[in-house]
Amino acid sequence: MAERMQICNLSENNFEQCTKCSICTTVCPVAAVTTDYPGPKQAGPDGERYRLKDPAYFDKALKLCLNCKRCEVACPSGVHIADIIQHARMSASAGHHASLRDTMLANTDLLGTMANLVAPVANATLGLKPTKLVMDSVMAIDKHRTFPAYSRQKFTTWFKRHAAKQQDAFPNHVSYFHGCYVNYNFPKLGQDLVKLMNAIGYGVHLLEKEQCCGVALIANGLYKQAKRQARTNAASIRKAVNMDHRTVLTTSSSCTFNLRDEYPAVLKVDTTDVRDGISLATRFIYNLVDEEKVKLVFKQDYKRRIAYHTACHMQRMGWQLYSIELMRMIPSLDLQVLEQNCCGISGTYGFKKENYERSQAIGSILFKDISDAQVEAVATDCETCKWQIEMSTGLPVENPISILADALDLDATRKANGID
Amino acid sequence: MRMDTVIMGGGLSGLACGISLAKRGKRVAIVASGQSTLLFNGGSMELLGHVNGKAVTNPLEAIATLPESHPYSKIGADRIASLAERIKLLFSDSGIEMTGSADANHWRVTPMGVAKPAWLTLNDHLRIDDLNNLPAKRLALMCIRGYFDQPNAMLAQGLRDLGFEVDMIEFTTDDITALRRSPSEMRATSLAKHLVSNNALRRLADQVNSLAGDTDMVLLPSVFGQSDSSDYQALQAMAKKPVRLVSTLPPSVAGMRMMTQLRHYFRMLGGTYLMGDTAVSGTFEGDRLTSITTAKLADMPLKADNFVLATGSFISRGLRADYERVYEPVLGVDVDADADREQWTHFGVLQPQAYFGYGVATDGNLHCLKQGKPIQNLYAIGSVLSGHDAIKMGDGTGVSLMTAIAAADHIRESK
Ligand SMILES: Cc1cc2nc3c(=O)[nH]c(=O)nc-3n(C[C@H](O)[C@H](O)[C@H](O)COP(=O)(O)OP(=O)(O)OC[C@H]3O[C@@H](n4cnc5c(N)ncnc54)[C@H](O)[C@@H]3O)c2cc1C
Ligand code: SF4
Ligand code: SF4
Repeated sequence: MAERMQICNLSENNFEQCTKCSICTTVCPVAAVTTDYPGPKQAGPDGERYRLKDPAYFDKALKLCLNCKRCEVACPSGVHIADIIQHARMSASAGHHASLRDTMLANTDLLGTMANLVAPVANATLGLKPTKLVMDSVMAIDKHRTFPAYSRQKFTTWFKRHAAKQQDAFPNHVSYFHGCYVNYNFPKLGQDLVKLMNAIGYGVHLLEKEQCCGVALIANGLYKQAKRQARTNAASIRKAVNMDHRTVLTTSSSCTFNLRDEYPAVLKVDTTDVRDGISLATRFIYNLVDEEKVKLVFKQDYKRRIAYHTACHMQRMGWQLYSIELMRMIPSLDLQVLEQNCCGISGTYGFKKENYERSQAIGSILFKDISDAQVEAVATDCETCKWQIEMSTGLPVENPISILADALDLDATRKANGID
Repeated sequence: MRMDTVIMGGGLSGLACGISLAKRGKRVAIVASGQSTLLFNGGSMELLGHVNGKAVTNPLEAIATLPESHPYSKIGADRIASLAERIKLLFSDSGIEMTGSADANHWRVTPMGVAKPAWLTLNDHLRIDDLNNLPAKRLALMCIRGYFDQPNAMLAQGLRDLGFEVDMIEFTTDDITALRRSPSEMRATSLAKHLVSNNALRRLADQVNSLAGDTDMVLLPSVFGQSDSSDYQALQAMAKKPVRLVSTLPPSVAGMRMMTQLRHYFRMLGGTYLMGDTAVSGTFEGDRLTSITTAKLADMPLKADNFVLATGSFISRGLRADYERVYEPVLGVDVDADADREQWTHFGVLQPQAYFGYGVATDGNLHCLKQGKPIQNLYAIGSVLSGHDAIKMGDGTGVSLMTAIAAADHIRESK
């Protein structure tokens, strides 16, 4: 009876478990730099009490939340604080329209398609001072920001032309959710993954239909569109996992977290049945190595000193260990693991003019740590952290998959895994 | 994944043990769900504060009289003095500057103004070595306007009872006033985050300098420096009088700072700290634990030669109680607790409570017991242990640190 009572009492997002200890507020990167934001406790479980009483109660300050989930990681009582805040933003946004700027920033794939067609022009134009000033004043996109360069050729185009045919020949198979960033901005990361997976005997395949995972749509309040895209992706993933028996790999921590956890929790698009079939590539590869199913052979002369930054969503998933331990297998790589601090960009947040200064203030602790670490490059699993850290520290930022692919002795690895 | 040692729990004891092992080049992972009870810590470590209700003056002597079931007795009363020196070194290596000695308690002052025996106290916090020879005659107790986590009137009264003259001085600065926009979030840790720039500290020092009058020492709430003591040092350099900090109600900045420094040092030594993950179960083979599973690394058991259980007491969920029993939830190891639920608590919040002394049962070498048999590669340390009582005896942090180092020694000696 007593046990049952406790079960029945469970509230959505563990809201009632809050003991008001304020620990969440101590780790919130936004509350640390501005008094405009009351912090997760007030914005989350405390504010929720008012919102439950009167759904019209909505605090505009909730827009300042980065959805970085650091509050949830710290909460000793398991309250899903950031989810509570996301839901509040979502219900408050019903009936409102996102601004042109937010719509543009959120539609990473639309923007990407357009830009790819005219990549040299887009890169030059987006980088030009007058363009930046127009964007700053008309679009409210901060002029300090550099847009990530667009690639001339999409990853999918490259893949279909140069890689697709060979993939069926491998003994094992995975699917790849490449995401917008790999497709439009940085196909090299996708190429590195294909190279790496092929070397250990895995063929890589695209999903039947992939759309932008929607992480930016959620952040910018375009929930309907996010939901539509989530349904398309969920169907493709389900087909890959259930019919083709392939794990769906990703190379972005935010896409991964979105597909596995935010789809069901925020968008109410259930992916729990295939959750175990979606994995960050480093986790998948680490497990193969750990179970001695594959071998990685590294170059002996890959001498570099690199700092690893744990992206917020990576920390929320608790998977940094996989990327770190994989890189630690590279014999002459000197890897410094940084304290877990937020870089401040949080997807499109830092691109907005009204957030620029706050975004840089949030990141300042991390930037100082990076400069103290005296490294030649930074590794992280998130593409928006990459833009932010590159802009703010001047150091190149690489995905662990690219570092592994670079450090790998390809011939020796193929041989060790019986691939020719 | 294979490590040399996997530690469950990332509070004071888990970190101290992890540092001690990582320093010798061992591969150590700490699984740490959420924050620890260091967030309640007022800037001091206690070795032994009270025995039979009486304040202890010389902890080393008093430790020798403790019953066999006390963790100190399991370590060996004769080893405490040398371990105490190693612990001081561990703190200073981590950048935590503390003063005190194991054979003479000093006094720390609680947020309520009560003097309590302590072993080590942060150098920037108020420490009284001798109650008959106070460090200052007249104190300026600086009270921040709108900050409620320091009960000023009680604190002032307590200090007066100790023999200080106290001037209570209310003040604020622009930076602090800005924080009052969300009054419910005006906590020590929020203040510490906003009182960091040189300008903010300068404005504060100006206030202190102009208001402190003829006093000999300035007391400020402990709201400076979440990651090290540099903000305090900057403030002291600008202040005209000696400045000491007094602990506030939680969350505690001093505790947060120590946690950050220990964690940072552990990482620097190559240790892996899995923040926000929880150990959920273990696999035993005979008298050994072979691996544990965590919530987030569900498909990858963490294997190791040795394991340490440092999951804390009830408040940290290292111990659980339901309507029938008290139990250890991760590995199901034996606990020392009354079977009869009536015995767990006694009426009256301030009465000694039997459950404070409950905890995981261990043999003389801190091995956990499972169905009465010691698990040869599993040690329990810190608040999860039975046989001590942080509240009644003031031995909480001391037990955490001593057992952490003792277990690390056992692990190093084990084959
Ligand atoms: C309110 C309060 C006030 C106190 N005041 C004082 C004082 O003034 N002086 C003093 O000397 N002592 C004091 N103590 C005691 C002191 O805090 C402890 O003795 C000491 O800090 C405990 O350290 P610990 O590492 O053993 O446990 P904890 O600090 O409890 O840390 C245990 C950690 O393990 C984590 N954990 C639990 N289960 C799991 C799991 N399954 N997987 C992974 N991680 C897990 C918890 O989240 C927590 O972070 C106080 C304790 C409390 C509760
Ligand atoms: S950390 Fe969790 S329990 Fe504590 S105030 Fe925040 S939501 Fe509530
Ligand atoms: S998700 Fe991040 S920004 Fe939002 S309240 Fe939590 S800690 Fe703060």
